[in-house]
Amino acid sequence: MAVISVRNLTKTYHVGEVAVHALRGVSLEIEKGEFVAVVGPSGSGKSTLMHILGCLDSPTSGEYFLDGADVSHLSDDELSEVRNHKIGFVFQGFNLLPRTSALENVELPLLYNAGSLSATERRRRAMEALAAVGLRDRAEHHPNQLSGGQQQRVAIARALMNRPSILLADEPTGNLDSRTSIEVLDIFQSLREERGITIVLITHEPSVAEYGSRIVAFKDGRIVSDTPNLRQRVARGELAEMPIAREDA
Amino acid sequence: MRVIASFQLAVQALRRHQLRAGLTMLGITIGVAAVITIVALGTGAQQTVSDQIQSAGTNLIQIRAGNYTRGGESVNIASGLGSATTLTEADAEAVGRIAGVKYVAAGVRLRGWVANGARRYYTQILGADVPYAAMYQWSFSRGKFFSREDVAGYAPVAVLGTSVRERLFAGVNPVGSEVEIHGQKFRVIGVTSTGDEDQSEMVFVPYTTLQRLLGINYLHLVTVSAKEAGQASGIVDQIVPLLRQRHHLTDSAAARARQPGLLGNQMPNSGTGGLVPDDFTVKTQAAEALTRGLYTSVAAFVLANMPKVDQINLQEMAGTLNRASATMTALLAAIAAISLIVGGIGIMNIMMVAVTERTREIGIRRAVGAKQRDVMLQFLVEAVTLSLCGGLAGIVLGFAASLVVARILEWPAEAPAWGIALGFGIAGFVGVLFGYYPARKASTLPPIDALRYE
Repeated sequence: MAVISVRNLTKTYHVGEVAVHALRGVSLEIEKGEFVAVVGPSGSGKSTLMHILGCLDSPTSGEYFLDGADVSHLSDDELSEVRNHKIGFVFQGFNLLPRTSALENVELPLLYNAGSLSATERRRRAMEALAAVGLRDRAEHHPNQLSGGQQQRVAIARALMNRPSILLADEPTGNLDSRTSIEVLDIFQSLREERGITIVLITHEPSVAEYGSRIVAFKDGRIVSDTPNLRQRVARGELAEMPIAREDA
Repeated sequence: MRVIASFQLAVQALRRHQLRAGLTMLGITIGVAAVITIVALGTGAQQTVSDQIQSAGTNLIQIRAGNYTRGGESVNIASGLGSATTLTEADAEAVGRIAGVKYVAAGVRLRGWVANGARRYYTQILGADVPYAAMYQWSFSRGKFFSREDVAGYAPVAVLGTSVRERLFAGVNPVGSEVEIHGQKFRVIGVTSTGDEDQSEMVFVPYTTLQRLLGINYLHLVTVSAKEAGQASGIVDQIVPLLRQRHHLTDSAAARARQPGLLGNQMPNSGTGGLVPDDFTVKTQAAEALTRGLYTSVAAFVLANMPKVDQINLQEMAGTLNRASATMTALLAAIAAISLIVGGIGIMNIMMVAVTERTREIGIRRAVGAKQRDVMLQFLVEAVTLSLCGGLAGIVLGFAASLVVARILEWPAEAPAWGIALGFGIAGFVGVLFGYYPARKASTLPPIDALRYE
């Protein structure tokens, strides 16, 4: 069964009197364990698609099934719960809470979890997640004390806290240098391989899209191509070949 | 998300902007302080009416033998105070049975010399009864007041006022010494600590002893105390007909027939009585309270607002004091209301700023699963926390202000313990009232717009 299934999705914004058709009938099925790279120039509608897939926005028309459940017509509270349980976000700008420790940032989704955990349990789980992205010793650092790559790894740890069905990454490498970008992509690829997490990555860089297992190309609010990536790049292998330029560890 | 977690977030957020938070609290602080001071003034004024006035003697009634205004107030022919010999111990006992009367003390007066050897002092000697000390709430710096046995046994014992003591004994403890009054030796058994100037000039002996000394069997005065301060005037209204009846001052037909021929226009009206005038005078001591025992500023205020000091009664006194405190209360209430509203608007303003500043944070929280009510709660709790901190400072300030008012203005003000709960209640209410709109605005931001906010 498809994790994500959207049919004839449209989204129309009204800017003043001008109607902007961000999505003009998008249908897409994503199976569990896929690493889908969505590419397209800015304004092609890929970000809009991601907001709808992330239950941050609702479509003007069309259907969206997440894990087999229709989520296109849910209330605000229900959408919040879906975001909390089934979706993990990774953003271009990291979107960590400023002046808040890495640990507390990672704890955040647990705070809004209905089955409220004790503070110590939240802390333990957050620490575990930070350790998984190699940042155990940075737990008490604030975002401004972390490098871009480290911040993005904190964001990934946060996204995985509630064991989501899908990980949505919106230009996750946009603010990173090339080596750090590959490190982040390596994390995505290993998450997919080791935990079978479904990943939807949005990017405007074709080179980044090549790390996906499938590439969906957008233009003017429509899918113009949707093909399996037969020449998928492997981040780990590339990292091994690169000269060692360690971060300010 | 629970309230405790929201509270922790609120404290964190407020700590990041301590100066801003402090300035915002100021309005609430002043408002709550004003409210506490109002409560303190109100409570203090009430206490003054019931306690201070009572101890100052306004629950007291004096019955004097004779009628100073026998000729009518307009004519003002006095036949002499104490000239009547009709007031008796039986009258005092009868008055004691009137409902609302607490104590009755018979009294006999004498102006004369009091001597300790060569030192002599001309003053008032009052033959009093045992309850007299309790009526004036005397305490004794030395010795004691005379007992029931002393009164029953015509004991030659005396209690000195402080001035008398100074004049006759000058620093030496007089208890146990003897003084001579009207040719008889009296043993000094106590010195009163009364603050009343008249009483400090007096010497008190058992009235029975003084009666025997003077060879009389009537009384010059009877002092009556009411159980509650407000009842004095009502008791006076009962004493007058009771004594008229006991003294047979009825307006018989014969008396009425004789009246015009005998007295003619010399006696047009004799006030309270009928055609036969009273042979006694009854007055409450409310007026004396104006200069006795009260805080000086209160007394000054009351005097300034009392044109007819002689006709004052307790209700008017209480009313004046209440009006005085009502004026101050109204003033403070206005300050409180204005500063609470302004403070509330300040909180609202700062919360609006916080919501705008933290739009992205709201977006992040919504993205990871915060519901509208979670965001709402977070900002509302922050506003209430801010307001409560202001309230706490206001409570401290209010209690301090009450002390200052009591000390410096000598105005009776005492903040009660429940003022603390009141202060927090008001602060909390203001926080919710003015925090609601910004919190609601924060919670209804579309998640995607909040997230993309730059």
